[in-house]
Amino acid sequence: MLGDIITPDLFASALRMATPLALAAIGGTLCERSGVVNIALEGIMLTGAFFGTAAVLATGNPWIGVGAAMLSGVAISAIHAFASVNLRADQVVSGTAINLLALGVTGFLMELWYGHPGTTASIQVLRPIFSFSSPGGGFLAEAWRWVNGIVFSHTPIVYFTIILAVVAQWAMYRTKWGLHLRALGEHPRAVDTVGVSVYRGRWVAVLMSGALAGLAGANLTIEQVGSFTENMTNGRGFIALAANIFGRWTPVGSYLASLLFGFADALQIKLQILRDVITVPPQFFLMLPYVLTVIVLAGVIGRAVAPAAVGEPYKKG
Amino acid sequence: MSEPRDEIPVQRPWMAIVQKIGTPILSAALAIAIGSFIMWISGYDAPAAYAALFKGAFGGPKQIGDTILRATPLIFTGLAVAYGFRAGLFNIGAEGQLFMGGLAAAALGVFLVGQPWILVAPALLIASALAGAAWAFIPALLKARIGAHEVITTMMFTYIARYLVSWLVVGPLKAEGQIPQTTALMPEAQLPRIQGLFSEGALEAFPFLNLGRAHLGIAVAVIVATIVWLILKYTTLGYENRAVGFNAFASETAGISVQWTTVKALCISGALAGLAGSVEVMGVHHRIFDQFSSGFGFTGIAVALLAKNHPLGVIPAALLFGALSAGAGTMQLEAHVPQKIILIIQALVIFFVAAEEIILWFVRRRQKEAMSHAG
Repeated sequence: MLGDIITPDLFASALRMATPLALAAIGGTLCERSGVVNIALEGIMLTGAFFGTAAVLATGNPWIGVGAAMLSGVAISAIHAFASVNLRADQVVSGTAINLLALGVTGFLMELWYGHPGTTASIQVLRPIFSFSSPGGGFLAEAWRWVNGIVFSHTPIVYFTIILAVVAQWAMYRTKWGLHLRALGEHPRAVDTVGVSVYRGRWVAVLMSGALAGLAGANLTIEQVGSFTENMTNGRGFIALAANIFGRWTPVGSYLASLLFGFADALQIKLQILRDVITVPPQFFLMLPYVLTVIVLAGVIGRAVAPAAVGEPYKKG
Repeated sequence: MSEPRDEIPVQRPWMAIVQKIGTPILSAALAIAIGSFIMWISGYDAPAAYAALFKGAFGGPKQIGDTILRATPLIFTGLAVAYGFRAGLFNIGAEGQLFMGGLAAAALGVFLVGQPWILVAPALLIASALAGAAWAFIPALLKARIGAHEVITTMMFTYIARYLVSWLVVGPLKAEGQIPQTTALMPEAQLPRIQGLFSEGALEAFPFLNLGRAHLGIAVAVIVATIVWLILKYTTLGYENRAVGFNAFASETAGISVQWTTVKALCISGALAGLAGSVEVMGVHHRIFDQFSSGFGFTGIAVALLAKNHPLGVIPAALLFGALSAGAGTMQLEAHVPQKIILIIQALVIFFVAAEEIILWFVRRRQKEAMSHAG
């Protein structure tokens, strides 16, 4: 019974499920470190998922889809950047507008381009990079099943996300750009005083978070599902925000927190498949990631300190 | 939310009123204009679409009834979001509290059989308000005690509420038959239709009373909006709510408990959203099922912002979005424009109200032009 649940596939699935959360969470980290709240991750992810799928449907090339997803993420996050940086709008409200806009635009274009609501046709997906054969039998084969399943069974964006977490962590703490980024969220006036543009710095951070959340959408459609369904992000953008907080506004922390949520998701899927054995209604498993998010927030917040100037518009003085 | 902005200097008393409602009206107009631009570049006939939309929303008493029907839950969710905003809280999870309110009315309503309407209906409304408040309580507590962002927690509770209802209607509360839904409420647990209050003769003499599916919930909504307005304006509860929303730090210094005010504000907001659920259950569907709300909780955000968080302003704002939603079906049927355009228009309204600077910039430029012409 436990052997049916604890399989290499469970951990591999956890890594897969963590990937869109981690990409959006790292995007959220960059954005919030610069002083801009990004509640719009959910909508940006949905936008990326849709335009990624649409580009693959049009060209048949999944890599063009990945590019389109990131570009569309950048485009829609530009609206958020303009509203929060230049117009000094309430960032949470602007983010909400983007979420709704993404829902409307993807649904509208879905009907306009494909003539029906719901789900698109299937697309060409990105395949796992490696394909090794088992090196023998017996114990070796069993060990190989685990190593291959957890380490070598993944698609490109899954590996990219791990590399990204490390690189972003390095950049944030070891480069001049990272120093400026962190200062933007703590004390923008100081950054302004040393001659670095607050507006420019925040714009770059918001657009980067857009590209990453768009990529998260591409991972959902072009690597995991193979089609687009309306509102398919299903709260992942908000869970990513929680992961960013749980990870204390650091890229590697965000990744690890996403791994926890990804594991919860993988586990609930696994438990649903075993529904003949376990007689708990599937809805309770579906609740699991959301309940976990609340528990994590409840347990961690007091000790996690947000960037001091996050959410506060900056006015050039 | 309370950042001081450079306001246009007030010249005459009526200018203040124009300014107050000017931005929302301009925002709505701009959103609708961009909506028609989107229709146009998508190859649709925008004037025909808006004509169909207008027909579907105001074409006759039945259509007006439909607009009122859809505005009713929006008044409650709009009030819920507005009340939270007034305390500096963003209750993005009104949808979840709405689900729990609807659930309370649907579940309890089945048991209170055989009692008089005058007892049952208020009891169900109160139960749904309590259920909504309860659903907001944990996020409220987490916000007050440890600062967990209410946007994330109330959103998570919305998903949890949806799965809970979706389980209950296939499980313990399932009515007999194939469809996953609860047992229908008896008439004493329903909010009757407005047209049902008049005799056949009266309806024939005054055809405008044939308000189709519109039900008594609209009266409850208007009364509750008035109460919320009075609370905010005249009571200590409302004063503390506004004070904390305006400046939490100063309020704490002045002796107001910010934590306690936060809990009260989010729970009252939840109660208002819960009422939205019960009017849908008691007035429209008479039972609960998976998809009983078409995102009223989220539209409530747009309603509150358009109303600039004024409880009475929520009523016309809800009517506008109610009309858009009532007319959307006719628009899709006659002009073939996907209903999703309504979501886009809603998003634009939120955006323009939030980014007031766009509107103010436009107004200032016009003022400057006018002044330079005059001078």
